[in-house]
Amino acid sequence: MTTAPELTQANKSHTKSLRASLSSKPQRLGDGIFAILLVVPGLALMAVVVAYPLVSALVTAFFKQSLVLPGREFVGLQNIIDVLQGNFFQLLQQTLVFTLGTTIAPFVIGFALALALNTQIRGTKIMRGLMLIPWLVPGVVVSFLWMWIFNANYGVMNAILEPFGIEPQAWLAQPGTAMFAVIVAKTWQSFPWMMVMLLAGLQTVPRELHEAAEMDGAGTIRRFFSITVPQLSGIIGLVVLLEFIWNFQHFDIIYVLTGGGPAGTTETFATSVYETAFHGFDLGRAGALGLLWLVLLMALVVVYVRFSEKGEKR
Amino acid sequence: MTSTALPPAPSSPETMPAAPAKVSRPRRRAASALRSERPSVRLSAWIAVIVCGGFALLPVYWLLATSLTPRDQVFSYPPKLIPTEITLDAYTSLFANPQLFTYLQNSIIVSVVTAVLSVFVSAYMGYSFSKFRYRGRRQLMYFVLASQMFPQALLLVTLYSVFSAYGLLNTYTALVLSFTTFTLPLCVWMLKGFFDTIPDELIEAARVDGASRLRTIHSIVLPLAAPGLVAAGLFAFVRGWNDFIFALTLAGPDKQTLPPGLVNTYVGEAATAWPELMAASLVVSLPVAIAFMLLQRYLVSGMTAGAVKG
Repeated sequence: MTTAPELTQANKSHTKSLRASLSSKPQRLGDGIFAILLVVPGLALMAVVVAYPLVSALVTAFFKQSLVLPGREFVGLQNIIDVLQGNFFQLLQQTLVFTLGTTIAPFVIGFALALALNTQIRGTKIMRGLMLIPWLVPGVVVSFLWMWIFNANYGVMNAILEPFGIEPQAWLAQPGTAMFAVIVAKTWQSFPWMMVMLLAGLQTVPRELHEAAEMDGAGTIRRFFSITVPQLSGIIGLVVLLEFIWNFQHFDIIYVLTGGGPAGTTETFATSVYETAFHGFDLGRAGALGLLWLVLLMALVVVYVRFSEKGEKR
Repeated sequence: MTSTALPPAPSSPETMPAAPAKVSRPRRRAASALRSERPSVRLSAWIAVIVCGGFALLPVYWLLATSLTPRDQVFSYPPKLIPTEITLDAYTSLFANPQLFTYLQNSIIVSVVTAVLSVFVSAYMGYSFSKFRYRGRRQLMYFVLASQMFPQALLLVTLYSVFSAYGLLNTYTALVLSFTTFTLPLCVWMLKGFFDTIPDELIEAARVDGASRLRTIHSIVLPLAAPGLVAAGLFAFVRGWNDFIFALTLAGPDKQTLPPGLVNTYVGEAATAWPELMAASLVVSLPVAIAFMLLQRYLVSGMTAGAVKG
């Protein structure tokens, strides 16, 4: 079976965690084999559609290879050097601007809404449901909608801003505003998820803590920083980290809204790898860019996995 | 503020995607904030709801309004914030376009097959992760978790070549297989969460009564976890329905799903048919909205099981 090497690999590298994996669960003779058999179909599928493509994409980083022509030629680190000397740092900077913008803005909006909806003001249930709409609609619909709102000639954004003395802009077609517009669109899609997660967290904060603090004379703001934030620190860390990881590789909205333009100013790793491979047909360069991208991403994923493991042990 | 460092998170079971099912039930009212809010707190809550609510809902209103506006009135500036004339032309013109029905049919087939396949495979995997302890289990679980974070654009580089080599480009098979890259991890973690809530004693009892291991799964565990299977399947369906990048690249017009299909149909023309595009957007979003209405209880568990994202 294709998965056998992987299993042994996983086993070998972690024999020291043997103790951790022997638990108090009732086990019968042969259960181990049965348990692994259950995993085999899924693992085989993942080996075919995830592990193999990933490894093989990274291998192309060291070859000169075209999407449309057969054959390839080993070029060592040349692709990686080319990428680093090319627009890598511009892409890194733009990806970080996009990722930070689309993580911080939804967090602020989502947290504000979660706090507001956690009070006893009327209509919170209905509002909570309505606020989910932006998160429900498919990514391309988010793009269509904001493409229309930011339309240079007939867009409603220009019409709203004009009374405030802001000249009509071609939001998506000029380098200064395109990234901002893309971040707004992604923020609109992301904040409901933040809101739901943080609201779920807020509802686990014991009410007694707030009551006791209020008895001791702590004001609303004081209680927010001394009770709410520390109690939520775990969930805050989780949602910010996950959102950051997702946005670091986001593709749909950028691709449909601007296609990376104008003049490459909204290009991120995701759109650039895609363009290089499927419009430039340069698999080697796409692989090299992907390799560098994945290294950065995996650093984040390792942090996330550590974080989840800690949660599970508790 | 100084104490916001990450580690101490005493009362947040949400940090563990492993046991999401517990979180899904909304807590009792009593657990929320104080009953008698100060006026200033109430006021700021209202301001937050109105400002953020405007940001959330005005675009939705604009989508709806544009879809009901006659085509010639859309191309005027300044736009009419409240349409003076309402028409369903945009919706009827959708039905007149046979290509859209092809996309719709493809979307339904691919998303349904993806959901069924994902649930089927993940059920066994999730059960194994939940009820057995063996060496390498943790590592496998976190491989599955991390795999949904591998960038799709990068996977595509090779998936395209592989499918091309096997003549699978522009087939449902290619789309279904590529969709499982993100639905499988989601379903495995969600279902593991559901199986965790099934008491071990029940499984033991079945075994004592002489049921085989497989029989125990099929006649005891899966029926008990049926709501979980449905929820995971719906989440997988939605993720497949919303996919853009895989269907855009791996399929042509006759096998493409709605999201890339709509982009190809409407975007890039000199004058985009905005009312039709907004109407189509609304129609595409409907199945997702319905799925989530059914899913409300499992919303948070699905969200934490990872990456329920557009």
